[in-house]
Order: sequence, then structure tokens, then C-alpha cells
Amino acid sequence: MKTSMLILFTFCSAALFANDKYKQAMQTNIQAIYKAQSTEEIQQAVNSFERIGTAEKSKWEPFYYASFGYIMMSTREEDGAKRDALLDKATEVLKKASVIQQNDSEITALEGFIYMMRVTVDPATRGQQYSGLAMQTFGKALGLNPENPRAMALMAQMEFGTAQFFKSPTTSACEKASNAIAMFDAPPSADPLAPRWGKETALRVVKQCQ
Amino acid sequence: MRKAIHILLLFITSATFAQTSISGVVTDEKGAAIPGANVSIEGTYDGTSTSVEGAFQFETLETGAQTITITFVGFKAFSQAVNLSGQPIQLKVSLKEEINQLDAVVISAGSFTAGEEKRRTILKAIDIATTAGATADIAGALNTLPGTQKVGESGRLFVRGGDGSEAKTFIDGMLVANAYSPSAPNTPSRGRFLPFMFKGTSFSTGGYSAEYGQALSSALVLDSKDKAELNQTDLGLLSVGSDVAHTQVWDRSSVSGKIQYTNIRPYFGMINQEIDWITPPASIEGSTAFRQEVGEHGIVKFFGNFNHSDFKLNNSDILNPNQKQLFGYANNYGYGNASFLQALNDSWSVKGGLSYNYNENNILFGNSPVDEVEKGTHSKLVFENTLSDRVELKFGVEHFQSSYEASRLDSLLKQQTIAFNTPITTGFAEAEIYASKYFVTRAGVRTEYNGLMEKLSVDPRVSIAYKPFTHGQFSLAYGQFRQVAQNEFLRVNQNLEEEKAEHFILNYQVINNQRTFRAELYHKRYSNLVKFMNGNPEQLTNAGNGYAQGFELFWRDNKTVRNLDYWVSYSYLDTERDYLDFPNASVPGFASTHNFSVVGKKFISEIKSQLGVTYSYSSPRAYNNPNSEVFNNGRTPAYQDLSMNLSYLPKPFLIIHLSVTNVLGRDNVFGYDYSETPDTNGNYLSRAIRQPAKRFLFLGIFFTISKNKSVNQLPNL
Repeated sequence: MKTSMLILFTFCSAALFANDKYKQAMQTNIQAIYKAQSTEEIQQAVNSFERIGTAEKSKWEPFYYASFGYIMMSTREEDGAKRDALLDKATEVLKKASVIQQNDSEITALEGFIYMMRVTVDPATRGQQYSGLAMQTFGKALGLNPENPRAMALMAQMEFGTAQFFKSPTTSACEKASNAIAMFDAPPSADPLAPRWGKETALRVVKQCQ
Repeated sequence: MRKAIHILLLFITSATFAQTSISGVVTDEKGAAIPGANVSIEGTYDGTSTSVEGAFQFETLETGAQTITITFVGFKAFSQAVNLSGQPIQLKVSLKEEINQLDAVVISAGSFTAGEEKRRTILKAIDIATTAGATADIAGALNTLPGTQKVGESGRLFVRGGDGSEAKTFIDGMLVANAYSPSAPNTPSRGRFLPFMFKGTSFSTGGYSAEYGQALSSALVLDSKDKAELNQTDLGLLSVGSDVAHTQVWDRSSVSGKIQYTNIRPYFGMINQEIDWITPPASIEGSTAFRQEVGEHGIVKFFGNFNHSDFKLNNSDILNPNQKQLFGYANNYGYGNASFLQALNDSWSVKGGLSYNYNENNILFGNSPVDEVEKGTHSKLVFENTLSDRVELKFGVEHFQSSYEASRLDSLLKQQTIAFNTPITTGFAEAEIYASKYFVTRAGVRTEYNGLMEKLSVDPRVSIAYKPFTHGQFSLAYGQFRQVAQNEFLRVNQNLEEEKAEHFILNYQVINNQRTFRAELYHKRYSNLVKFMNGNPEQLTNAGNGYAQGFELFWRDNKTVRNLDYWVSYSYLDTERDYLDFPNASVPGFASTHNFSVVGKKFISEIKSQLGVTYSYSSPRAYNNPNSEVFNNGRTPAYQDLSMNLSYLPKPFLIIHLSVTNVLGRDNVFGYDYSETPDTNGNYLSRAIRQPAKRFLFLGIFFTISKNKSVNQLPNL
């Protein structure tokens, strides 16, 4: 009996340990990617996420954050063609996440973020096509979870930019940005691996609104 | 208890023993460090990223047989089996570069690629739609590129001393017969297909792949867009008509349809025309596109359109201007194109298609009607095999079936009919081999069996490209090309052989971030051209021949001045041919020695508008003056045109587009028609072929209705 208890205990702790190991590794790297100051640091975190994702196979978060990392790297890249290559990579790993976790609001919002970044490579040529696509995708993300602050913040930013360009009222965009901030301020998800980024985007829009 | 502790201790020590250190260096094939590469033990979290020096070091508790994997963007993954036993492992790894990278050499001789936005291309798909002076006509925009000669009274593409029939259009790999809308004699025609339908355009002025046949001088390869992403309705109010289009999108498919009505009558009523119209051109057109995604990478596309257009005008006699002859023209055109693409596995893919076209002309000369019906089908099946990232094979079979039937009433009002079929069966194979990222060879062969003349032909095509510099590269191309004689000649003599051309091209190209320079040198030999025996158009032979040679320069820059994008093209052409009714080798009337274009586009955010300006120059063209002893001795004045356009976006869903051609109102003369018989003094009288009106003004207002108001039709303009 004692032995079997011991064995059971060992098993349980091993399972717990495995799960802890995943969470711990993820949390370390999520912190790293949020704090990263250079492309190299982001690349390191992205590499870790890809390693974890390849080992775990049933977890979507590693690929989600790897994709986020590639988007962050693309914001630091000057050359349009290289920026596109990074966004290709972001799309590729995000697809792996969406295969594991279908119809997820966060994954969909990140997909919209990629479209938004595609615009920046060549705004004159791509503005119309990709901004429409980005807006549609943010809308889809909010359909899946109306309380997704990131989808709301990115949508606010996109709408604000468009309104500014056409010198039309920014009211709707500003409303969305304040909404997003309220959502960011709501008690965060209990899941330590849940995405937390994006509040600065909403704050920036709110500031421009004033 | 003691035992347990003992066991635990044993575990810990064995674990300590089993810790293995793995270290090493990752470089590329030339030995340069690769920083940021991902080193891992497959299936575990263990691993690290390489440092700036390409070095890595990490410890692992894993034991036994494992696989170490090293990956980095742009390189092939490296993996090696290892046995982890506590003994430190040291690796020296050089990663192999993947070839299909942004900076690999590409075959560039003869070809201009637009679209595939992510690649470094010379033109973007939208460039074609926004070039001033082109009024959203594909050929109009391509006419600002080197290798083309402006032939203002035609509107078609004339490439490197070739006439308008030598440039062929392909949509999704399928040949399009009658790719231009009908137009009155000596007035420019427009392409039937609008630029916004296509995601990519490859315009080749020579040396093209073995996949494309029945084109002597040029292949314009258009790739239609994939599945649409947004539901939307578009409305256009134009100064010459209106259109309405709707797109409906589902998860894996999309359908769109468009109806367009064009009537230039009110416009011609306001602006004086050179032509004595009875009823100016009007047309109605409907088109539809369907897309269905299949499996992981497969897609099925269908496109179809129908167009009816007609006009009537009076031709006045040159000798006696009061003597007028009615010229009427009605055209019915239908085109359908279905194609598919499917990956069979990781290395094999298959694509194919079927296209059908129907073209009916009802022509009225005075009182004698002539009816022409041309029908064609083109079917094609192509297999592609990626042997590795360095070798790609492509082979396929095609069948063209075209029929021609013409009928007219002779002087005794008896119906005369002539009809013939031209079946052509072809097979082609081509390999593209990368010796390295800096050197590529493409070699192919095309065989055709022409059932009308019962002849088999074999045409080789070879290109190589070498990239000795970071951005600059050289490319060479050679090929043999052929096409059947025009129906108007086959109608007279169905034993005519195919006309042939041979291309030799040397190209140098630099594509930097946002600047492009390109220079090209070429020589082209023509043989088997249709020729009139003793000047008699009823006796045709293949005795004609000719040559064209020259060089071309292209510069594009959208970096130096913010928001300004411009390109400059220059073409030098030296050509002569002895064909048709030519008594000797001579410069044909469509050729001009110097062609020069500058295209500029600037987005001015203050007025929310894009402004476009195009200036074009063509040196004098030859024409034959029957009063002169020497054939084709006359020279027209040089051609010059300054065109402008403005796209104004007052609201996200609204665009107002204004364009004006020939702003300066220059009176361009394209050539001269002469009276068929001399006047009483023995002189042939001439009449200049001019632009139908000095300027063409176009105003369009485009609305887009979608759930999302930030969408507009700019990509369509």
C-alpha cells in the first residue's frame, strides 16, 4: 500500500511537475518578450517558444507568442521585403496555433495585427486592401470575445488613423480606445499565460484624442 | 525509509551524472557566423539561441539517443542524431542556404514582373492601374516600359519591332484570343480585361519560358486574383457610362459579378471628333468570377465575360471628300476560363485549365456585309516537380483548337463562305536548376504539331542568370518562337507555314530596396514571314524575313523624394523587314527608333489625392508615299504626349478620378492614308491619320458599399 501510494505520489508530482515546467518556461519567456529591447532578445524568446511549441504539440500559446515575437521583430525592420519575410513567418507559426485552438479571439486579433503591419510596408499600394482585411479580422475577434481588449485597441488605432487621414470625426475611434482601456483595467484572466500586451496602444490613441 | 532515501540519492546522482553539455558554432556555407539560430533537442524544451559569433552552449538532463536540430530563417534545417551520456558534445555546423530567398538570382532577361507584392518586383500590380495616360488599360501602362513602341492609332502592344499580333495575352496560363476590344480604324483599342482582376502581371519582351507558345514577340502573362476576402458592392459613375459590381465571400469560396455599360456618345457630342461618326461606340459587358479553395493548397478558378459593342461611321474618300462610304461594325465576344491548381504531395503539383473564346464580327462596307466568326479552345495540363530547392521540373501538354469562318455576299448577292480549322497540339518540358544562389539555368523545349499544315516543330529555349554582386545580376536568354499566320492571310492560303522568330537577349539588372536599374541588349531574327508574291495579296508565300535589334534602359526610384515614385524608360530600336507588300527590306510603319517615357506618381496628403503624370516621346515613323520613288520613305513628325490623372479620396468609401490625355493638345500624326488612284495631275492625295480628338477627358466617381467603411476601390483603379 505504502509503495503504491508512493508511486502514485511520484506520478502525480511528475505530471504536476511537467505542467509546472510548461507554465514556468512560458512565463519566463513571456516576460522576456515583453521586456525585450532588441531584435536579438526577441529572436531568443521566439526560439524558446518554438522549442516549447514543438515539444508540447497540444499547446497553442507557444506559437501565439512566437508569432507575436515575429510581429515585434517586423516593427524594427526597415527593409520592406525583409519585414514581409518576418510577417510571413508570423503568419506561418500563427497558423500552427490556430490549428490547435480553433476560433480563438486572441489568435484572430493577432492575425489582424499582421494585416495591419502589412500595410506599413507599402501604405499607398496596400492600404486599401489590408486595412479592410485588418478591420474585418478585428471585428471577427470581437465577435468571438467582445471583451478582447487587444482586438478593441488595435481596431481603435486603425480607425483613428483612417479618420485622421480623411479628416473625419475620430469620435468612434476614441470611444473604442476608452472601451479598450476599460477592458484592460478589468480583472485579468486567471490564466498566467493569457496575453496581456496592448494597453499602450489604447493609451496612445486616447492621448491623441485629447 | 532508508532504502527510499538511498534510491532518491541514486536518482539525483545519476541525474547529475547524466547532465550533458552541448556546445558549438553555427555558420553559413562560407563560414560566416549565424546569430539567433535556434538550437534544440527535438521534442524537449532544451536548447538555446546562437550568439553574435554564432556560438552556443547549453546543458541538458536528457539521456540516450536524441536528435539535435538547428533552424534559422532562410536556411535548411540541420539535424543530427546524438547519444547523450554525460560526455560533452561539440558541434561545428554549417547551414545550407535555402535558394528561394529574397536575394537569390532570378531569370530577368526579357521579363518585367508586376505583383507578387512580397517579392522584389519592378512593378506593382497597382502601378498598372494608376499610370497616367493609360486610363486603367493594361497595354497602355505597359507601353511606358522599355521594349515597347507607341503606336497611338492602335492601342496594342508592339514589342521590339514586332507588330501588334505578335504580342499574346495569357490569363492563368490560358491563351486569350482577341484580347483587345474592337475599335474604329485608326483609333486606339483597349484591352478587354481590367487590371484590377489580376494579382500579378508578367510582361515578357522576349526569351520567355517554353510554357508559352504561339507568340512571336511577347507574352503578357496575367495571374488572376485568388479568393476575395471582403463582401462589397461597387458602383461607378463614369463620364462614359457606369458599372456595378458585387462580391460575396464565404469561408472557402467567393463569387463576384460585374455589369458595365459604356456609351461614348454623349461625350463625343460635346467634344469635336476627327471622325465622322454616325453612331459612336457603345458597349455592354457582363463578367463573373468564381473561386473555390480545395484542400490545403488547391484552388479552382472560373472567369467568364460577355461583351457586345458596336459603332457606325462614314469614311470619306480622299480624292472626293463628299463621297462617303458607310462603315459599320458590331462585335459579340464571349470568353470563359476555368483553371485549377492542386498540390499532389510535397514535391508534385498539377495545374490545368480550359478556355473558350467566341468572337463574332459583323462588318458593313457600304452595302456589302461581311460576317466573321472565330472560335477557339485551349486546354492545358502542367505537372511541376520540386526535386529540391535547387531543381524544379515542369512539363505539360496543350491543345489549341481554333476555327475561322467568314461569309459575305458577292456582287451577285450570292453568299460566299470560307472556313478552316487550326488544331495545334503541343508538349513542353523545362527545368530550372540553381547551381547556387548566384547561378541559375533554365532550359526547356517546346514541340508543336500543327494539324492545318501537318507539320511538327521543335523550339528550344534557354536562359541563364548570374549574380556576382549583392544586388546586381546578369541574365542571358535565347529562344525560338513561332506563331501561325493571321487568319486574314490563312483565309487566302491555308498552306502558309508558321512565322518564326529567334531571340538573343543580354540583361543587367539591379534591384535595391526601392530603386531599380535595368539595361538590356537584344537581337531578334524573323523568318517565314507572310509575303505577297509580286505584290499580289491573293498570292501569299512565307518568303518574308526581317530583324530587330537595340538596347533599352529603365530606372525606377521611389525612395529619393518622399511620396514620389517615378520611372524612366528609353528604347532604341533598329529594325527592317521584308514582308507583305514591301518591295524590299524596309522599316515597317509601326516601328520608331527612339521611345522615351517618364511616369511619375505622387501622393499629396494635404489634398488626399494621388497625382500622376506621364510624358511619352516616340521618334518619327515611316510611311509610304506613293508619289515618291522610294518605298516607305516618308517620316511622320515625332509623337509627344503629356497625360495627367488625379485620384481624390474625400471619404474612405469614395474616390473621384479625373484623367486627361495630351494635356498640351499636341496634334500627333501617326501616318498618312493615300488615295487609291492619282488625281488629274497624276498625284496621290494624302490624308493624315490623327488622334480622334486632341485630348481624352475621363471622370469617374466610385462608391464602395461594404460593412466596413474603410474599403474603397482604389486597388481597382
